[in-house]
Amino acid sequence: MADSSSPVKVAECGCITPFGDAAATHAALLRGACALRPVAVLGREGGQAVPLALLPGRSLDETVPPDWLGALRGLRRAIPDGDWGSPGRPVFVTGSNFGVGGLYALRRTGDPAFAAWGAPATCTERLRADLGWGPDVSIVSHACVSAHLGLLLASRAASAGLAEEALVLSFDFLSPFVAGGFHALKILNASFPAPYRLGEAGAIGLGDGAAFAVISRGRGAWALEAQCVYNEMHQFTANRGDGSGFDRCLDGVAAAARGRRVWFKGHGTGTLDAGRLEVAAAARAFPGAPVVGWKGSLGHTLGSCGLVELAVAIESVRSGRTPGTVGGAGAPMGENVALESFGNAGFDGVVCASNAFGGAHAAFLLCHA
Amino acid sequence: MADPLTERLKQLIVETLHLEGIAPADIPDDEPLVGGGLSLDSIDALELVVRLEKEFGIKIASSEEARRALASVKALAAYIRERSDPPRPGP
Repeated sequence: MADSSSPVKVAECGCITPFGDAAATHAALLRGACALRPVAVLGREGGQAVPLALLPGRSLDETVPPDWLGALRGLRRAIPDGDWGSPGRPVFVTGSNFGVGGLYALRRTGDPAFAAWGAPATCTERLRADLGWGPDVSIVSHACVSAHLGLLLASRAASAGLAEEALVLSFDFLSPFVAGGFHALKILNASFPAPYRLGEAGAIGLGDGAAFAVISRGRGAWALEAQCVYNEMHQFTANRGDGSGFDRCLDGVAAAARGRRVWFKGHGTGTLDAGRLEVAAAARAFPGAPVVGWKGSLGHTLGSCGLVELAVAIESVRSGRTPGTVGGAGAPMGENVALESFGNAGFDGVVCASNAFGGAHAAFLLCHA
Repeated sequence: MADPLTERLKQLIVETLHLEGIAPADIPDDEPLVGGGLSLDSIDALELVVRLEKEFGIKIASSEEARRALASVKALAAYIRERSDPPRPGP
């Protein structure tokens, strides 16, 4: 599904990662800093030490109320006032996991207090009340393309005149349940991620992340000129080996980028097969575009990654410098992979892409408005 | 003479993955387990890995290692022989 009609604008955007806000995160990536640290995968219950990037002061273990609530309240202060959740000013809350760690804690401890934040609906309702929003709040959740879907829905609402402006909030904070799940899938282990690098085995890291974007038809310095989502529905954790799923999504954005010079912010979690397919697909859709991935430093922030990394991409364009692909050693998977940071003043825009379990793909083209 | 480990693995594959209409003897030694005639997918592979780890006391560290181990029943048997606990010496 490609949408390149009535482009809308990103009027405001921000994020928080273990490095801080978007500017601090961008600066850290330019330095090649890594937010990932070895953390016992099951928190206080131990287990293998795996690379996780937690917000400063946060524990992996669940608390009631969640200890990430303070981080969202802090992010809320960066969101412009706007009577969010009132008619014409909808909020789209997106993420993979919401407070799902609380359900595991409920199972382990029997403490019913954990249930209050456990499910997406109850979690979002509590957030809505805590952050002072009106009732027009929708939940969007589709694994690691959640943020892109939220952006697409917000864009359509604004484009169709159903919203004056729309707010997208995306967050994913780690817990033993989430880390344990990826560990059980054998893709989170003791190895640190090396996105877009050739190697014997791939590995991911996971990270805390939250971000917001205000989508507007009128104001804003950045235009979302094309957005595309596609689900290849191949296997739950594997893509078609010919990369056609990636092609179908990126082709939907490539048409809008034709004749323009772009750089490519990829998904790049550190898995081998998907990394190779993505690099090759980016080369086909956007010949000559340098490909960067930042999850080798930030970890994979799951459902929030599309919006967290949009905030960093905007900071990159604003500053004139794009951080290179952080993490690992070894030969890059393609000549288009940019390992070092580069000046982006000569580029017309950036394509941001994310991919998810179940073969979901999403991408958009961001240019100066 | 059939290799007992290979026979056990075939039985375990059928049991673990609830392969209806397929007998252990129907699984060729050399056919790819994932992406081959059994139509196993990535989740099937994961389920199999968990079962193998429990049964043989091995630890498969990554999805790539799992793919190599599951290249075929023959490859899997060789993988397990290399990594499972060595037999205790006799008296």
